Amino acid sequence: MDKARLSLAKSKRPTISLRLLLHMSWQNIISKKLRSWLTIMGIIVGIGSIAFLVSFGLGLQQIVTDNVVGDNSIRSIEITTPNSRIIKLDSQAIEKIQKFPHIDKLGVAYSFPASIGLSGGGIDSIIYGVDDQFQEMTTLNLIDGRLLNNKDQNSIVLSTATLKAIGISDNSKALGQDVEITVPLQYADPELKDLEESFKIVGIIDSGQDNEIFTTTAVFDAQQVPIYKVAKVIADDTDNINELRTQIEASGFQTSSPIDTLDQINQLFKFFNIILAGFGAIGIIVALLGMFNTLTISLLERTKEIGLMVTLGGRRRDMRRLFMIEASILSIIGALSGIVLSYVSGQIINQVANANAASRVSERFNIFSTPMWLVAVLVLFMLAVGLLVAFFPAKRAERINPIDALRRE
Amino acid sequence: MKDITKNDTSHVIKPNKGSEHPSSTDRHRTLIKVQGIEQSFKVGEETVEVLHNSSFTIEEKTFNIIYGPSGSGKSTLLNVLSAIQPPTRGRVEIAGFDIYKYKPEQLAYFRGSQIGVVYQQNYWVSSLNVIENVALPLYFLGKKKQEAHRLAMDALQRIDMAPFAKKSPLLLSGGEQQRIAMARAIVADPMLIIADEPTGSLDTKNGDMIMALLQSYNRDLKRTVVLVTHNMEYLPLADRLIKINDGVCQEMQNDDVGHTTKNLIKDLGDRIDKLAESKRNG
Repeated sequence: MDKARLSLAKSKRPTISLRLLLHMSWQNIISKKLRSWLTIMGIIVGIGSIAFLVSFGLGLQQIVTDNVVGDNSIRSIEITTPNSRIIKLDSQAIEKIQKFPHIDKLGVAYSFPASIGLSGGGIDSIIYGVDDQFQEMTTLNLIDGRLLNNKDQNSIVLSTATLKAIGISDNSKALGQDVEITVPLQYADPELKDLEESFKIVGIIDSGQDNEIFTTTAVFDAQQVPIYKVAKVIADDTDNINELRTQIEASGFQTSSPIDTLDQINQLFKFFNIILAGFGAIGIIVALLGMFNTLTISLLERTKEIGLMVTLGGRRRDMRRLFMIEASILSIIGALSGIVLSYVSGQIINQVANANAASRVSERFNIFSTPMWLVAVLVLFMLAVGLLVAFFPAKRAERINPIDALRRE
Repeated sequence: MKDITKNDTSHVIKPNKGSEHPSSTDRHRTLIKVQGIEQSFKVGEETVEVLHNSSFTIEEKTFNIIYGPSGSGKSTLLNVLSAIQPPTRGRVEIAGFDIYKYKPEQLAYFRGSQIGVVYQQNYWVSSLNVIENVALPLYFLGKKKQEAHRLAMDALQRIDMAPFAKKSPLLLSGGEQQRIAMARAIVADPMLIIADEPTGSLDTKNGDMIMALLQSYNRDLKRTVVLVTHNMEYLPLADRLIKINDGVCQEMQNDDVGHTTKNLIKDLGDRIDKLAESKRNG
């Protein structure tokens, strides 16, 4: 009788462990293999299609972002002047900007139209005079030779398109070759004369169809060109970009940042991805109806079992938990399998697309991108809606009266 | 047939066995005290009264048989005693506790730890195997799987059903299933075993075996047994009979059991004669 006293009067009674509830739910799921698989299959299709479509959206977004922003650091700010006659981007201005807080790096560049040729009478191009920092921030896509450094004198790095234009088709022959370049410096200062000098090719870059020539700032410094065309700074942190920009703009300069473009791209793709997810959601709704059906049938079939368990000491809330756990297991298995399936098909498409484009594109690209956060969001989402759907059958399981249940024949 | 009220315990026969407790006052403590219970159900608009103002007591470690014709309220009475059916009126004290005053969760734990049930028809959690089904009450008492299975195996061994541990209970014969239900009823070492016509769907041989098990639980394990049956041949096994007729309970002492059984069988014989006669005449 002391045992009875214990069992009734004890304020905190031990109860069935979550592990055993999991075990019982799992046993029930595998004892109804076909039905469980059909339910899971529904979830696989639903979650899989959302994962597939959203991965596609994210992959496209990544490709677009890479193309637009390129290798420019997200933290970089380009500084130009709206009117070079009034606000000059000269060495004094650069010194002033250099003192602003939150600057990690600063580089400057001259830029002029130029004419380039092997010997006189060249073709039109653009020449940039860049310092080391600017060159680093621009990340040139070097394919042969080397990049510039500040000790170089009259050395150039030029693009393949420029090489072709002046009649050199073999990259290896171009290196070490001297070319004649004419630069009308009057664009910067009417009092300056044309720069006409011979330059040695030290490196070749790939910049698509652009006719571009890079040389050091020293070339233009020597001619006493008074103003830079553009300066570039890198902020020490993405969060400080806006503050830094405000400061620079307050001095009268114009700024632009890849973040501007990125924001627009992200805005557009947010909308696009929601639409894609919306299509996938149709599948989820069907899957949820299937799960509701499965759980309800399971409830009706197991009325007696639930009554029995209550008689044997099961608490009503344990009966509810059995159903919630079952729904969770189905949801998680279905969601993970769906994501894996979508990931595998995405990867296959990525491989095929890359293999097909290998001759035209130098860098790998992913049409489908499935980041970890998407996996987590989809699994949690499925778990949440799965539990929501399980709520009603679970509530009914909780209300089953053992007497009625066991009496039923 | 002699009616004895719940307060008159002078005729109670002492259990014919040694008590676990050294103190002689413990020998026949009251385990269950039913006071003025009534039970009615609503069927549509109508209220059906199943139990009327019934009172009786059950002593600890005794073998009790509730008998009566079908529809007399036996099963309802058992449900009330099994702590799953609160009576409409009256109180049920088990081990001194007015059980239906407790919260459903406390009652669930009480059922799991103190009451073992056996039904005429066997119920199983079909996705679990024999040992898991036997261990169910222990699961709900918060026992770890390993320990629960060890105790369940002990219970199965006691009834020689250990080789069936990993089988599905649904694939076993009626007799085997009923024995496993017996194992489940004692696995949590409850003080009270309630059996609702456990032999009802068995042949005589299996039925006798189940009765022998119940007897041994009572005699060897010193558990209180409350049995509902309408197999009159089992009535003499009882320390005490509780007769229920049209929802009214009457209790009888042990020394009346043999007499009562004979009377019942005589009544039955008379009825058979009467019916046979009416057929001849009719």
